[in-house]
Amino acid sequence: MPSGVQMTAEDIARETIVVDGVGKTYGGGTHALTALTDVSFTVREGEFATLVGPSGCGKSTLLQILAGLVPASSGLVAIDGRMVTGPSPDKIGVMFQDAWLLPWKTAAENVEFPLVLRKVKPAERRKRALPLLELVGLASFADRYPDELSGGMRQRVAIARCLVQEPRVLLMDEPFAALDEQTRTRMGNELLQIWEKSGGTVVFVTHGLTEAIYLADTVFVMGTRPGRIIERIAVPLSRPRSIDMIGSESFGRLRNHIWHLIAEVRT
Amino acid sequence: MTRTRRRLIQFAALAALLSLWEAAFRLGLLSPIIFGSPSLIVRAVTQDGWTFAHAFRITVFEIAKAVLIAWTAGILFGAVAASLPALARVSAPILSALIAVPLVVLYPVLIAWLGLGPSSKVVFGVVSGIFPIALNTMIGVQGIDRGYAQMAAAMGANPRQIMFQVMAPLALPAIVSGLRLGTALIVIGVVLSEMLGSTDGIGFWISYHRALFNTGQVYLGILLALLVAGLANAALSLVERFYVRQAANLSVP
Repeated sequence: MPSGVQMTAEDIARETIVVDGVGKTYGGGTHALTALTDVSFTVREGEFATLVGPSGCGKSTLLQILAGLVPASSGLVAIDGRMVTGPSPDKIGVMFQDAWLLPWKTAAENVEFPLVLRKVKPAERRKRALPLLELVGLASFADRYPDELSGGMRQRVAIARCLVQEPRVLLMDEPFAALDEQTRTRMGNELLQIWEKSGGTVVFVTHGLTEAIYLADTVFVMGTRPGRIIERIAVPLSRPRSIDMIGSESFGRLRNHIWHLIAEVRT
Repeated sequence: MTRTRRRLIQFAALAALLSLWEAAFRLGLLSPIIFGSPSLIVRAVTQDGWTFAHAFRITVFEIAKAVLIAWTAGILFGAVAASLPALARVSAPILSALIAVPLVVLYPVLIAWLGLGPSSKVVFGVVSGIFPIALNTMIGVQGIDRGYAQMAAAMGANPRQIMFQVMAPLALPAIVSGLRLGTALIVIGVVLSEMLGSTDGIGFWISYHRALFNTGQVYLGILLALLVAGLANAALSLVERFYVRQAANLSVP
């Protein structure tokens, strides 16, 4: 979709995520800082999209706008046919680089926390949380506290917590960036398995090119100063993905292409 | 070592210390006016026990009132200041400065305003203890990473839920350390103000008998003041444990 073209109601209804002409400016006057300018794209139902770009390109800001945590300065965002004006936890699950688990709650209690906020009964909460902990491979760690879990396990708890309200859209802001490479790769694969099972729509922010290609159906490459989308790339790899694909020629070519895109806008 | 055995050893050590003190006094090694003795303290109990019991009650009530006011107002101010950056910037240096100021210079003014009765002690106690409570609460709340609040907002928490179910438990350790410091200062403030100018209370009777060289009574007063401090500390630990359990169970409606 070319930028600046007015979205019709039909477009908004058809696509799961619609971002149209979104800009974000911090401050005002001469000190105004433009973080994002004229960002437009769509993500269809069940699509796995990654946003990749250099640091400072506003990809985290964009994700926060999608999540309804930060208002856009201009343009519109619609998810599932409705304008985003604030957080909608029943439709959107959000994950950050840090799990932000509450340290006085066990893994299971952390997964239940979104349900606590909605005053769901304790027995019902437990019934919904435990299968999710099992899904992320932490069934035997349900009663452990966050400081007893590794970084990867904490992010698994965060994934389970995201899924507990059965959202149709997952927004993930560099969720595995703080993990070591092996754990990151394994978590990526697990995320793909979970996504294939649950069939939601995912927008995944990362600065890792390999991760961005490996996970995605569509890669949105972002440029910096001001933050904007410079290219939309459909990933030609088949599913399910396997580690071997990373070494393939087409993967390498794609990776190089994105690398050059980012390097060009940087200089 | 088991708990009872440790207790037993502690008691034995205390008994030995007291016997040593009494023996030194009997042998004329210690001046009775300066050092007193366990037997002089026992005699003070038989002579002035009821006066001291009454004074103890007064002091405990003054401290309890001061604690209630200083805790509530201090935590409230700290929490509000932490959420208003402008207020926090202004109040942080003022609060730190007020903790360092020898507030006892205010006491004559307080007596002039409020008289020699309990209210001047309560107010002086509040003034002594409220600033570290407010400052620690403010710093504790400010020190919480914004990520927690953002995460909670993304999960659909409203501002009240973010405040009580996320921020308050996270700030609890800092708040409790402020309460520890503040409560100790309140106990000191109340007893000190009783010594400086009042008509009753443990501090008053300590300074009264000091003037008359009734060393036994002075020591009895000191023991009771220690007991008050111990009680305040025990009360604090109780509150702390209660809140930690509360925080752990906040999920239970």
